[in-house]
Amino acid sequence: MKMKWRNFIVFPPLIFLFLFFYFPLISILKEGLWDNGITLKYILQVISNSYHRRVIFFTLWQALASTLLTLLLGLPGAYIFAKYDFPGKGILKALLTVPFVMPSIMVALGFILLFGRSGVIAQLIGRDPGILYSWKAILLAHAFYNFPVVVRMVSSLWQRINPHYEEAALSLGARGFTLFRKVTLPMLMPAIFASSMLTFVFCFLSFSIPLILGGYQYATIEVDIFTAIMTLLDFKTGAALAIIQISLSFVFMYLYLKSLDLYAKAEEQRVFRKPVSLTLRELLSIKGALIAVYSSVVFLFILSPLIAVVYHSFTYGGRFTLEWYRRVFSPEYNPIFGANSITAIRNSLFFGFSTVIFSVLLALSIAYIMYRWEFGGKNIFDALVMLPLASSAITLGLGYIRAFHKPPLNLLGTWYLIVFAHTIIAYPFVLRAISTVLKKIKPSLKEAAMSLGANELKAFLKVELPLAFGGIVVGAIFAFAMSIAELGATYMIYKPEYTTITIAIYRFLGSRQFGPASAMSVILMLVSTIAFILIERTGEEIW
Amino acid sequence: MVRLRLEDIEFKQDDFRLYIPFLEAKQGEFLTLLGPSGCGKTTTLRIIAGFEKPDKGRVYFDDTVVNDVPPYERNIGIVFQDYALFPHMTVYDNISFGLKLRKLPKEEIRRRVSWALELVGLKGFEDRYPEQLSGGQQQRVALARALVIEPQLLLLDEPLSNLDAKIRERLRGEVKRIQKELGITTIYVTHDQEEAMAISDRIAVMSVGRIEQVGNPLHLYYNPKNEFVAKFLGLSNILEVNAEGGKACIGSLCFEVKTEGRVKIFFRPESVYVEEGDTGEIVDYELLPGRIRLKIDVEGNLIIAERFLDEIPFSIKKMPKKVGIRVKSFSILGSSP
Repeated sequence: MKMKWRNFIVFPPLIFLFLFFYFPLISILKEGLWDNGITLKYILQVISNSYHRRVIFFTLWQALASTLLTLLLGLPGAYIFAKYDFPGKGILKALLTVPFVMPSIMVALGFILLFGRSGVIAQLIGRDPGILYSWKAILLAHAFYNFPVVVRMVSSLWQRINPHYEEAALSLGARGFTLFRKVTLPMLMPAIFASSMLTFVFCFLSFSIPLILGGYQYATIEVDIFTAIMTLLDFKTGAALAIIQISLSFVFMYLYLKSLDLYAKAEEQRVFRKPVSLTLRELLSIKGALIAVYSSVVFLFILSPLIAVVYHSFTYGGRFTLEWYRRVFSPEYNPIFGANSITAIRNSLFFGFSTVIFSVLLALSIAYIMYRWEFGGKNIFDALVMLPLASSAITLGLGYIRAFHKPPLNLLGTWYLIVFAHTIIAYPFVLRAISTVLKKIKPSLKEAAMSLGANELKAFLKVELPLAFGGIVVGAIFAFAMSIAELGATYMIYKPEYTTITIAIYRFLGSRQFGPASAMSVILMLVSTIAFILIERTGEEIW
Repeated sequence: MVRLRLEDIEFKQDDFRLYIPFLEAKQGEFLTLLGPSGCGKTTTLRIIAGFEKPDKGRVYFDDTVVNDVPPYERNIGIVFQDYALFPHMTVYDNISFGLKLRKLPKEEIRRRVSWALELVGLKGFEDRYPEQLSGGQQQRVALARALVIEPQLLLLDEPLSNLDAKIRERLRGEVKRIQKELGITTIYVTHDQEEAMAISDRIAVMSVGRIEQVGNPLHLYYNPKNEFVAKFLGLSNILEVNAEGGKACIGSLCFEVKTEGRVKIFFRPESVYVEEGDTGEIVDYELLPGRIRLKIDVEGNLIIAERFLDEIPFSIKKMPKKVGIRVKSFSILGSSP
C-alpha cells in the first residue's frame, strides 16, 4: 500500500514534543543533577532544608484536603444529577461548565474581594473571616475548580449502573444505606477514584491560586520553584525542586491514567437510566428542599467570586463608576512596563488563537496515530506523547529559560516560544477531547469509505473529520481558554511587549490596584464567556 | 465479474494463525465462509478486501495478483456486520459517496442511486439519516451503497446477524435474488449454518485458522469429511465401531463399510428409518412441528432419528419400548483436527 505520507506524519508531532518539551526537561535534569558529573547534592540540599520540606508536605497535604472537600461538595450533586430531573437543572448543569473556562487569576481576585479584610463577607459579619492568605482560601478555590468534574463523572457512571443489580440486592434483603454501601458505592468507585485523582493532580500542580491566595507561608512546590527562580535567581534549587515535583507528579499521573482506564471501562455499560422527573409534591417535600439548598450553594459558590469582580469593577466608594476602566486604558496608572492594556488584550487573543491552531494540529495527529494505527514501538509513542501531561507550567517555564537562553536555540523573548509553551500545556486536554470522539467512531466507517474508493486521507477528511468535529471544537475552546488563563510559564519567558491580560491583572494585583484589576478581569471574563457559550452550543460531553 | 483465488495464504496475529493453501470463487459464484467465531472467516474476508495484509501468499482477482493494491483501488463492495453507514450523511449521500469519488457526472449519479434504491426496495428514503431507519432498512442501504459502484466482487461480513429472525430470513432471500440478478461474485461470511445452506452455491467450512471442507451445501451436509464439519452443519449420529469382514455392526444394526478395523460411521437423523422390531430401545423423544425426534439406545450407543409423524409405524400415545431401525445412507468420516 502507498503509505508514504502516513509514515511521515508520525514525525512532526514527535519533533515538536522533543524540541519544546523533552529538550527543556533534559535541561532541568542537567541543571539539578549535574555538576561535573551526576550529583544528588542539590536535591539533598532541598530535602534537608526545613522550609522546602514543609513546602513539599504542604503541597501534598493541601492537594489531599482539596480533593476531600471537592468530593464532599461534588458527590451530593452527582446523586441529584443522576437520579432526578427538576426545574432549573439545565441552568445548573451549564453553570458547572463555568469554572472550566474561568481563568484562575480572576477567581483568585474574586476570592480576595469576597474574603479580604474589607471584603463583602468581612462587611457582613463585621470582622475578617480569616480565610484569605491561608490554606482555607486555597482549598475553597481548588474545590471551586474541581467539584464540577466530580459531579459530571460520578453522575454519568451512576446513570449507567444497571438497575437489576440494585433490584437483585433489594430482593435479597439489602436496603437503605446497606444497599448503597455494599452494591452502589463499589460500582461508583471507578468514577470517584478517577475524578479524585484528576482533582489531586490539578491541586498538586496548581500555581496562580496558592501564589495569590496562599502567600509566602502557604507556598506549594510550584510557587517555591517560581520564587527560587524569579526572585532569588537560584536555578539549582529551582531545578532540584522541579525534579522532585516531576517525579511525584509522574506517579500521580500514572495513577490518574490507570483510574481513567477503569472509569472508561465501567462507563461502557450500555444501560442508561433516565433521571426521574420530580412531581410537584416531591418538589415541595424535604427532597425538593434539599435539592434547592444544594442548587443555591452551587449558584452562590460559582457565581459569587465572578459577581464580586464585576461589582467591584463598576464601583468606587459605593457609587457606580467607570473610573477603573478609564484607568486600565490610561497610561498614567499603568503598572505594566513597556506595554499598555490594548496591547495586552491583543496579545492574549493572538496567543490564544495561535495556541488553538498548534495544539489542535498536534493533538489531532497524535490522536489519529494512537487510535487508528498499529506499528512497532507504539507503546513508546503513547508514553512519549502522554508524559507532558505530568509537567507543570512553572517547570516548563524553568526548562524554557534554561534550554532557550543560548544558541543554537536562542528563542527566549520571542512570541512563538510563548505560543509553544501554551501549546505544550494545552494539547493534552485537546487530545483528551479529540480522543473521546475519535474512539466513538467505528473503524468500519473508514474501511467502508475505503472500499468505496476513498484513500486513507480522503476517508479521514470526508468521514472521520466531520464526525470528530464536535470534539475538535471543544478541544479548541479548551486550548483557547487555557492559553488566555496561563500565567506562570508566560510570566517566566515573556518580554514586556508580550504582556497578556493575565499578566496585566497580576501586575495590577501586585500594586494592589484592585479596581483596575477587576476591570481587566471583566474583559477577560467576556472573552471566557464566549468560550463558555461555544462549549454549551456544541453539546458535546466534555469530560 | 471476477474470479477470486487465494493461494498459500498465511496470516499471523498474536497466537492466532490462519492458513489457506487454496480457495477459489468462480465467476458469479456465491461462496460462503462458514465457521464458529474466532475461526478466521472475517480475517479471510478482510484479506480479500485488502484491509489486512497476509504474511505470505497471493490473492488473485482473475489472473492478477492484488496483494499490493489498496482497498480503494480494488473495486469491491463490502457490507459490514454493523453496516458502517456514515451517520452524518443521508441515505442519498451514503449511496452516492463512492460515485462522487469516481467523479461521475451528476445526472449519472442520480440515475444510479435511484437504480440501487429500487433494487433494495427503499425508494423514497433518500433524505433520511441512518439513525431514522430500522436495522433491516439500514442493512439494505449498506447493500445498495456497496452495489451502486458496480463492484467486481461483493463481500458480506455477517450482514444479517444483527437483525431479528423473521427479517433475517426475508432479507437473506433478497440478498440471494439480487446476487443472482446481477451475477456478481460474492463472498459471504456467517456462523449460521442454516443461513449458509439456504443462500450459498458453495460453502467453505472453517475451524480455527483453516478450511476444513469446501463443497455445495447438500454434499457437505451428507458427506462431511470429518467430525467437525459433520457436527457444525447439524445434528449428527457418529458411531465408532470395529469393522470385521467388511462389516461394522452394533447389535443387529450393520453397515457395509468394506474396510477393516476402527471406523467412524456418520449419518443424519433423517437417514434413520423407524419400523417395528427390536434393534434399539426408545430412551426419550421430542415433538417438533410435524415431526418427531427419537433417541434410541442401541447397545449403549445413542442414535437420533427424525421422522415425519405419519411415517412412524405406531402412535405417540402407544409408544413401544423397542423399535427396529434402518439407516438408508451413511458415510465414513476421516480423522478430525
